[in-house]
Amino acid sequence: MILKKRKVISSLALFVCFLTALWGIFWLSFIIIDVLRHGITAINPSLFLNDPAPPGEEGGGLRNAFVGHLLITVFATLIGVPVGVLGGTFLAEYGRKYNISKVISTLADIMVSVPAIIIGAFIYAIIVKPLGHFSGWAGAIALGIIMIPTVLRTTENMLSLIPWTLREAAFALGAPYYKVIIQVVYRGAATGILTGIILAIARVTGEAAPLLFTAFNNNYFSLDMSQPIASLTVTIFQYAMGPYEEWHAQAWGAALMITVFILFATITGRLLIKRRYKG
Amino acid sequence: MIPEIEVRNLNFYYTGGVHILKNINMTIYKNQVTALIGPSGCGKTTLLRCFNRMHDLYAGNKYDGEIIFQGQNILSKDTDLIELRSKIGMVFQKPTPFPMSIFENIAYGLKLRGIKNRGELKSRVEKALKDAALWEEVKDKLNTNAFGLSGGQQQRLCIARALAVEPEIILFDEPTSALDPISTGKIEELIISLKGRVTIIIVTHNMQQAARISDWTGFMMLGELIEYDRTNKIFTVPSNKLTEDYITGRFG
Repeated sequence: MILKKRKVISSLALFVCFLTALWGIFWLSFIIIDVLRHGITAINPSLFLNDPAPPGEEGGGLRNAFVGHLLITVFATLIGVPVGVLGGTFLAEYGRKYNISKVISTLADIMVSVPAIIIGAFIYAIIVKPLGHFSGWAGAIALGIIMIPTVLRTTENMLSLIPWTLREAAFALGAPYYKVIIQVVYRGAATGILTGIILAIARVTGEAAPLLFTAFNNNYFSLDMSQPIASLTVTIFQYAMGPYEEWHAQAWGAALMITVFILFATITGRLLIKRRYKG
Repeated sequence: MIPEIEVRNLNFYYTGGVHILKNINMTIYKNQVTALIGPSGCGKTTLLRCFNRMHDLYAGNKYDGEIIFQGQNILSKDTDLIELRSKIGMVFQKPTPFPMSIFENIAYGLKLRGIKNRGELKSRVEKALKDAALWEEVKDKLNTNAFGLSGGQQQRLCIARALAVEPEIILFDEPTSALDPISTGKIEELIISLKGRVTIIIVTHNMQQAARISDWTGFMMLGELIEYDRTNKIFTVPSNKLTEDYITGRFG
């Protein structure tokens, strides 16, 4: 009797889990298919090669936004990754014995879930406002800051996964600590750290809110990071709100490209993790 | 019989002043195998890790007394730990191959000592692997990841890595406790073959192993060195009742 009851509850639970999973997957595929359906028609060479044309004119593109987005992301990575990796190394290695390390870890965990727009507003207050204008640098710094906690915590976790005996073995051969870290510990944790970096890049690539406050937008092609610069996400925001059909189409195209990039980056990250745990 | 290490009135304390080693005095002889036996928690591994100052990696540990090696007290503050550890190597309980190729694993210690010449690295890696009786098994896959080796092979790789830098002493911390009997046999043969060339101090839980491979045996209990003598004496006519009880299996 009891066994039968348990079996019923078990299959009920299984069924509910299955339904909710299906519900989640349904919306996810709905979004992806919708982006694909609308976006694919907007993908053509002029989207990548031309700068925005005045509404009503044919052949406009988003070259400025693609290039601007790339610039912002690259500089954000250059800002966020070294700080994150070195900070994580401090927490997992040199800082192990200090209580402050645990506090920093916890703060980083909180930082991971802080809404990106708050970081944007923060950079607006300390960089954009004093300088008097929006700039690509402000955007890169905002995204870099968003990357730091993710990279920091992944690095810390990956380094703590490396057994202590491995470090002891390197010490026992007469290696100084910095060589133990660089030559032995990093090598063991490399894939894991790289995965964290890729996932962090994937995350900031999709951010629009912090860029609205910092890099703002630019309708013209620009490589000058000290001036406002266009980005895909802000352009999507602007174009999707706009009244013109071509704008909507281009926004879909840009959305598709970002989605594809994030999908690609995430899959690469996951594959790397898988390879790591296979040994 | 040339003394290699003199331990004089050694006391060791873990964080918070926990007294682990109590007034240890012993002489370790050059190119002999010295085994440290005793029940779990008796301090044998702690003593072993004093010889290469491994305890320095963790805050709060304190040494008291002297360990004289090559005329110097290695417990003194101005001991160069990097130099000390290049003379006194260590092999751990679990195999600890580095996440790199077999060749790079052995070459690691050599590179640390500034050997960059490719030819010299190659010949010394080969010699170390031959000394560790691993060459025949790995000579065709030197550039593959060391994690691909079996546990026993990995442990011999670690021994080769320790041998490559030609240390005076190698410390073994229960090197076979994670291995199967066949691999254990190979490691024991290897240790015996190294006798006469390098001083070996081995911590073991396995009394038969101590009896098989060592020349000297120290029996420890509760942080004290109860008896230290030639292995055949310890295992046939121990002078201390506690030693006798332990080796006849009455406790431990």
